[in-house]
Amino acid sequence: MRDVRRPEASGEMTEMKGNEVLVAPWVEWERRYTKGRRLLEAGTFALTEGAIAAGCRVFAGYPITPATDIAEYMSKRLPQVGGYYMQAEDELAGMHMCAGASLGGLKAMTATSGPGYTLMHDAYGWAITNEIPLVVVDAMRVGPISGITGAPGQGEFYIARYASHGGNFETIVLSPSSVQESFWLTIDAFNLSERFGTPVTILTDQVVSDMWEDLFIPDDYAGLDFVVPRKANLTMPFFPVGSDAIDVPPNVIGRGTGVCVSAYTHTEEGYDIEEMEAQWAQTHRLINKIRHHRSELTRYETVGVDDADVVAVAYGADARTVKTAVLAARARGLRAGFVRPITLWPFLDELFAADRHYVVCELNYDGQLVREVMRAAPDSRKVHFMGKSAELHTVAEVVAALEGVAKTGRVPELPYIWTEVR
Amino acid sequence: MNPLAKKYLRPSQIPTKACHGCGIGMIENWLLQAIDELGLKQEDVIFGTGIGCVGRQTFATWGGDNFGATHGRALAIATGLKLAQPDKTYLIVVGDGDAASIGTSHLIHAARRNLGVVVICEDNMGYESTGGQFSPTTPAGYVTNSSPYGMVEPPFDPCDVVKAAGATFVAETTATQWHQTVKVVKKALQNDGFSFVHVRFPCNENFGAYALGTRDTLKNLEWIYEHTQGRKADGSATDFTWETGIKHDVSNSRPEFTRLLRDMNVRVQADMAKKTAAKA
Repeated sequence: MRDVRRPEASGEMTEMKGNEVLVAPWVEWERRYTKGRRLLEAGTFALTEGAIAAGCRVFAGYPITPATDIAEYMSKRLPQVGGYYMQAEDELAGMHMCAGASLGGLKAMTATSGPGYTLMHDAYGWAITNEIPLVVVDAMRVGPISGITGAPGQGEFYIARYASHGGNFETIVLSPSSVQESFWLTIDAFNLSERFGTPVTILTDQVVSDMWEDLFIPDDYAGLDFVVPRKANLTMPFFPVGSDAIDVPPNVIGRGTGVCVSAYTHTEEGYDIEEMEAQWAQTHRLINKIRHHRSELTRYETVGVDDADVVAVAYGADARTVKTAVLAARARGLRAGFVRPITLWPFLDELFAADRHYVVCELNYDGQLVREVMRAAPDSRKVHFMGKSAELHTVAEVVAALEGVAKTGRVPELPYIWTEVR
Repeated sequence: MNPLAKKYLRPSQIPTKACHGCGIGMIENWLLQAIDELGLKQEDVIFGTGIGCVGRQTFATWGGDNFGATHGRALAIATGLKLAQPDKTYLIVVGDGDAASIGTSHLIHAARRNLGVVVICEDNMGYESTGGQFSPTTPAGYVTNSSPYGMVEPPFDPCDVVKAAGATFVAETTATQWHQTVKVVKKALQNDGFSFVHVRFPCNENFGAYALGTRDTLKNLEWIYEHTQGRKADGSATDFTWETGIKHDVSNSRPEFTRLLRDMNVRVQADMAKKTAAKA
């Protein structure tokens, strides 16, 4: 009987707790802002409040389980703060509306799940190429397609990286694993979208969205000095093609600058152009503004990685039981470690630089995160896969896997666990 | 240079890459005339386009702010923009593919919401930039490069669609009706709500060549003109007739969409202030 369904309460994280490490900007934010309310709330609520705190004033989306509550909270909260909630005719329209609002000078967000996320890729590419700051929430469920609507999945790891066709771009994807983290991470996502001038995906999941947990919310959103305000570029160049600079103010339509934005490869004026040199310059910008500033994007959590022989890797809701399992294994004398990438893209290769065993737990059977760990780790033969779907990994099965790998170098056979990648 | 083009367009972006004899430039000139007669300035108007002949040939020609949407989504982008920049005039110049096919759901819902934009649907009756395939506005039975045996699907009239959806100004003209087009576009621009102007124009390279058997601009224009009259030059009846003119005009009769949202915010915030005052 698999009965371990009580993930560790990780609502309160500090930078260092014994051998636990959290690297994220909100470690400092939590220390500095202690005046506020303590609530018992859902992940969707925390995410909504994070967006409002970050200055989001437009939400346009289409209801879908398990992201619907974000739309409902937004429809209530936005008019209170002078913002606008729009229920779009579909997700295609939803994200395009957000892109339009952001181009008009308002911070905007949309939220969806897998089926809607794929529809948004039309607008996603448009926002990438036009360097429009936006936040997109994808609350992952089980796929393919509608799959199981009320259960957690992690099948959009690669889709979120390649959130448009055509290549020639990098993306930023963050993943929270608690209600509290959903709040801070959403503000962080807005900040990164403003600084890098690109859509940022928050890859959350059904469990983190729907569960209720302790939540601290600061009283005075206007006083949060770390929120990156919306700026406006009013002069040429409208697109600094060829440059890798970040913190470039985004363009704004409606201020009479004569800016041109489009779906085409563009010049620095925004004119459409069909020349290889222009394509090179645009790609240089879209890729290198992110690749050359990777240090600004590092967010992760680890436990006991200094002395570990075998490290469990997980993100999102699944990381909660996996972390508990690692702590349980360590209590039993196993030299186990835990790595939770919070930044999923660009991928944090440096977390897997040490030559040791990695057991990658994720909520899909095809193996997505595990492929990146295999690429990043010194010895891909020491990277093991524990795929599961529709339920979180239990502490018992992760402990069994860690012990099995430590003893035999292999994940033992377990019911409903998929271990083949190739 | 045409004085209107000099006043409103970008010298570097005109003439466009349009084919010889294409109606897109001519219609744009008529739009400029309407804009000029209303005294609108470059910075008053945001120019949005889509994909295909109409999108590609008009994008960035406007001297003010421009956006070229993904295919079909110009109205979705305009909905967000209008929220952020409500005082601007929005001229959304799209083709039959954008308006009547890939983007029809956005067209319908923008009309339903009474979004304050003017949609100019420049309709060359097919997908001409991809080589001349039929579209939902290609007349039934006509030969195109994807209907070599005649188009079997019935077409629809986008004016009927937007009228049913709630548009507050709907008109149809063609590239053979200069003064009428300027007149209806001016009326459309004066409606603080959803305006739709459907303008048919000839494509000589594809629709003309394959459906009508000629690349002669004047002959293709004449074919359109005959179908607005229901009668050919020789006096015989045409196979069908397009009704042109203002088809529906209830301009300024119901509130514009983004105004509704702004008014709601005022109401919500007043209620909040009242509650706070009652507590204190």
